[in-house]
Amino acid sequence: MKHTLSILLQNESGALVRVAGLFAARHVNIDALTVAATHDPAISQLTLVLHGDEGTLEQILRQLRKLVDVLDVSSLSLMGGFGQPALAAHT
Amino acid sequence: MSGADIVVQVLADEGTKVLFGYSGGAILPVYDAIFRYNALHRDAGGRDRLALVVPANEQGAGFMASGFARASGGVGVAVVTSGPGATNLVTPIRDALADSIPMVAICGQVPTAALGSDAFQEAPVANIMGACAKHVFLVTDATQLEATLRTAFELARSGRPGPVVVDIPKNVQNAVQPFDGERHLPIPGYRRRLEAVEHARLDDADCERLLDALAQARRPLIYAGGGVVASGAAPALRAFSRAFGLPAVTSLMGLGVMDTRDPLALHMLGMHGTAYANYAVEDCDFLLVLGARFDDRVAGVPDKFAPRAKFIAQIDIDPAEVGKVKAVDWAHVGQLGASLERIAHYARSRGVRLQLDDWHAHLAALKRAHAMNYDRASPLIQPQAVIEAINRQTQGRAIIATGVGQHQMWSAQFFDFAEPRHWLTSGSMGTMGFGLPAAIGAQFAHPGAMVIDVDGDGSIRMNVGELETVATYGLPLKIVLLNNHGDGMVRQWQKLFFKGRYSATDKNLHTKDFVRAAQADGIAWARRLERKEDLEATVAEFLAVAGPAFLEVVVDPDAGVYPMVGPGASYAQMITGDFIPSRAAPPPVDAEASTMHMF
Repeated sequence: MKHTLSILLQNESGALVRVAGLFAARHVNIDALTVAATHDPAISQLTLVLHGDEGTLEQILRQLRKLVDVLDVSSLSLMGGFGQPALAAHT
Repeated sequence: MSGADIVVQVLADEGTKVLFGYSGGAILPVYDAIFRYNALHRDAGGRDRLALVVPANEQGAGFMASGFARASGGVGVAVVTSGPGATNLVTPIRDALADSIPMVAICGQVPTAALGSDAFQEAPVANIMGACAKHVFLVTDATQLEATLRTAFELARSGRPGPVVVDIPKNVQNAVQPFDGERHLPIPGYRRRLEAVEHARLDDADCERLLDALAQARRPLIYAGGGVVASGAAPALRAFSRAFGLPAVTSLMGLGVMDTRDPLALHMLGMHGTAYANYAVEDCDFLLVLGARFDDRVAGVPDKFAPRAKFIAQIDIDPAEVGKVKAVDWAHVGQLGASLERIAHYARSRGVRLQLDDWHAHLAALKRAHAMNYDRASPLIQPQAVIEAINRQTQGRAIIATGVGQHQMWSAQFFDFAEPRHWLTSGSMGTMGFGLPAAIGAQFAHPGAMVIDVDGDGSIRMNVGELETVATYGLPLKIVLLNNHGDGMVRQWQKLFFKGRYSATDKNLHTKDFVRAAQADGIAWARRLERKEDLEATVAEFLAVAGPAFLEVVVDPDAGVYPMVGPGASYAQMITGDFIPSRAAPPPVDAEASTMHMF
């Protein structure tokens, strides 16, 4: 199942590499990634798409929250599978 | 103050007494600042306030800092130069992360203007270490140096401890800045999550649910890990275990959290755990997991781990460890000691009492029937006998460091540990070469303590240059080399799972004269023990040496580590070997099937 994560990240040297590196090290593929500035120049917003089961999602969320630069992570999972996707938000 | 002076001042302010490191071009300003600091600051004995210990290799510095941290509970500090200095530190940093050891590593870096230019001794340390450390800082703004260093110590110590790397370009070390004395980085995300975990309290309903399950249990068991050591919760664990009469098994990293001679202590569980600890895990109907993480050396087959446990409860400081390997019925993310005290207090107020006489009798019978044993009748010196001989003298009070392999497992099995932080081993990473430098670090943490490195011929060779460091600093370290002329653990696996094809292990470790190597490095008391009848007297003489001493013991090259729960096997399939009675004859090892799970 596909999951979309929203990550708020401090703009520190190497912060993006640490997020991407976490996925590589935990053997989870990133299907899509966009990085955008926010109104606060010290903070970036990452939107990231991965696929995996609920256990994979839960573990990667918890591991992301261990990264010092990560301010917040939430999962916006595309639920469903019968052609009627619904948007459900977890934290 | 220059950046280099700021580095040294923050180290001193954070309580650092000993630094482990090797100098080089990009870290010269910091080393100069250490020299100048020590010229001005002497302790009561006229010694350097910031003692600097120089290893043979930066990997040695990293493991010394790790050994210092493991033995003392403080933050171990390593200071190295850029490029190869920093990359030589990668293994100890990853090792410290895997075992949750607090360290701060300070690396010199090429000047900011040269970053990315493939400069001399340049390496992308933030990238490399980013995957290995709890956190990495590359300090490109000199005004942030002081706050960054102080925050590095805070990160290393707090929550689940770990190593933090601070990469400092040479121009930042030379930049003059005002020194504030207080500044930290904000790290708001980390702080918010840390505060939530540190203030998490078990409410009455949490306690009630746990105690209901415990009250129904007839065979409850505690599985305690390295988190109990890291959080200083061993006294709380012992009180909790005593209050309820709860027996405990410990992981490799948790050895010493219970006094191993306590009747309620069942020693180590897992791949090479005691048979009675593993049978207790098989038999328990309730499992309380404290600061442990169901590592694959413990729960190789998670579904078959503790198969009769109707209720598994887990307390850990790291939310990511809850449910990572094995689903649990009850979990609390928070401080271990405070949580155990809260549960015990609630239980007292409720008058919870357990009737565990049958369970205690069952475990006592398991301990008697399946006690640790080995080939005592062999004419060859058995490695386990060497450990028993040392243990008879040290009585669980020595600090024991090891390399990785068979000697490590025999040490875990046959030494007693009266207290935590007496057992220093590379548990998760399993890094050969860890023992000697870790023991050096521990000896600096406890100059008056009996520190013993029990090493293997394969492991000690990996950092054998540090023998000279022992002599240089006149450390009273005792080094026991159990020489079986080869990589014994690899041979054991090749024998069991590769039909005796001794690839690589047939090629090395046959020629080195370790005694002459120790003597050449300045260790005057260096002997080889080959006759079984000399064991007791030689060990006594060796341990009584006032200064450094090196004892090579030529041991049975075919001695194996048993019990063994093979890779991909459950505890019910444990092989107890020829000298420990098994509860049931284990099924034959299926070599082809085992290799599928093999790592």
